[in-house]
Amino acid sequence: MAAAISEREQMLPGSTSALGEGRDAAPCGGDAVVRAEHLSKRFGDVLAVDDLTFSLERGTVTGFLGPNGAGKTTTLRMLLHLVQPTAGRALVFGHRYQDLERPGARVGAVLEAADFHPGRSGRDHLFSLALALGEGRSGSFLERERAASARVDAVLGLVELSGAARRRVGGYSLGMRQRLGLAAALLGDPELLILDEPANGLDPEGVRWLRTFLRRFAAEGKTVLISSHVLAEVAQTVDQVVIINKGRLVTFSPLADLTAQVTGAVRVRAPEAARLHEELGREGIRSTLLDGDELRVDGVPSARVGEIAYHAGLLLHELVPESSSLEDVFLELTAKEA
Amino acid sequence: MLDQLLSELRKMRSTRTNLGLLAGMIALIVLTVLLNGFIPKAHELATHDNQHMLLSAGTSAALFAALIGVMAITSEFRHGTIRPTFVVTPHRTRVMAAKVITSLLMGVLFGLAAIGLSLGVGFAILTIRDIPLELTTSHVIWLLVGTPAMTAAWAALGVGLGAIVRNQVFAVIGLIVWAMVVDNLLRGLIPSIGGYTPVGASAALVADPADYVLAATAGAMLLIGYVGACVAGGAFAVARRDVT
Repeated sequence: MAAAISEREQMLPGSTSALGEGRDAAPCGGDAVVRAEHLSKRFGDVLAVDDLTFSLERGTVTGFLGPNGAGKTTTLRMLLHLVQPTAGRALVFGHRYQDLERPGARVGAVLEAADFHPGRSGRDHLFSLALALGEGRSGSFLERERAASARVDAVLGLVELSGAARRRVGGYSLGMRQRLGLAAALLGDPELLILDEPANGLDPEGVRWLRTFLRRFAAEGKTVLISSHVLAEVAQTVDQVVIINKGRLVTFSPLADLTAQVTGAVRVRAPEAARLHEELGREGIRSTLLDGDELRVDGVPSARVGEIAYHAGLLLHELVPESSSLEDVFLELTAKEA
Repeated sequence: MLDQLLSELRKMRSTRTNLGLLAGMIALIVLTVLLNGFIPKAHELATHDNQHMLLSAGTSAALFAALIGVMAITSEFRHGTIRPTFVVTPHRTRVMAAKVITSLLMGVLFGLAAIGLSLGVGFAILTIRDIPLELTTSHVIWLLVGTPAMTAAWAALGVGLGAIVRNQVFAVIGLIVWAMVVDNLLRGLIPSIGGYTPVGASAALVADPADYVLAATAGAMLLIGYVGACVAGGAFAVARRDVT
């Protein structure tokens, strides 16, 4: 399986650099920010993650995609030492997460939409985490409290939540909780953000806000790993994708390679479908005869098909554009492995 | 480690959980002292044992202290805050240690409040009813020192129990059923082991006059053993289990 993966990886144009070819497996080896090495996790009878290998370079925004139950969440939790791998290694900055010095100051994570105590204010939630992070390292109790307090106010401003900070989280809207989660992830001023399905349940405005935020974050040369089961949600944010299904790697490639696979097609119903097929062939347009009087034409807009039919004097009964989307490509890729 | 301690203290101060427990504890203790102080006839209350019962009502704070500890850990699992907590501090033992220490502190505070309350109200009732104090000064000091020690121990035990059980409802119910039913039955039905149950061992800390109660040192050692076993078991379970 390992050989199969690396073969596939190397076939993908533009992805080899991100894969760290020939890099040794020792900790600290290479400058990959995130690195999964033959990572597997078994829960009872279920192999949630199966020999997964990929690595992400600094400054990239990666979409971690797959259908629900593909193993995305488990993989992210193994990266953060919340779940122990059954086999393989999950490395962050070349180390196991728990071996990093002050990991919370280098990695920020949003794992669930609502990891808050409903009776605690948003500010106190952040405050307790900032204190644990050791904001204002050495110093007296008071200095630590003061430093943490200042940092909390800063991130609250960053996610535009200052106004609601002293209210209990129980009264927050979904969008506010999402931003509070992000604020918690940003407390340590991290170089890597890990987000698990952050757009779940967000309204369009919230999605746009998050996209803008992540773009700005990445523009500072920081790294983002963002999971989703809907490619469209992250397509405008990411520059490369890791697609997994049933715990296995399906594709690791730049987003552009996926986009290139997007095709437009036109379905035509015509009494003389075979003649239309010939006429189109004469114009150098590829088409496929389907059963009876149907024809599928690839790569041209429907207007062009109508034009050719008109000039050839052919009757059309139906002319339906069927554009496959990025989502279709994604679904096709994940279905193939199923 | 100081960072984790400050963090846990902030968590305890920022919800109303402990305030609720404190209110419940005060209500229960005041009610118990009033009932024990006014229902018996004057000559009944003039005995050593009944005055111990009256003035040691504060020891019921142990159950509330244990709930502080249980809530400190199970509410993190219940509301999912355990995830950000462990992401910020992946050294889970450190988080557990901080929770044990802060719970110990809260336990002491609860114990002091409880015994102060039961002694205060109890003395007031004796004075009002003109009943002479039958307890020696050293017995009163045992109550004053032993109660906070006992509540601190139970708070730490609660953290361990909560870490092992994780499910908040099961942990709370389990604790209450043990402390109020099972332990009582054991001590009632098999007096020979009465001094060795967690509640029985705790009674030794406040010079409880019941026959089965062990000597203070033996009781204290046994209680420390229970607490140590719970905390170690909880720390082990938390360190090993996946957080999903």
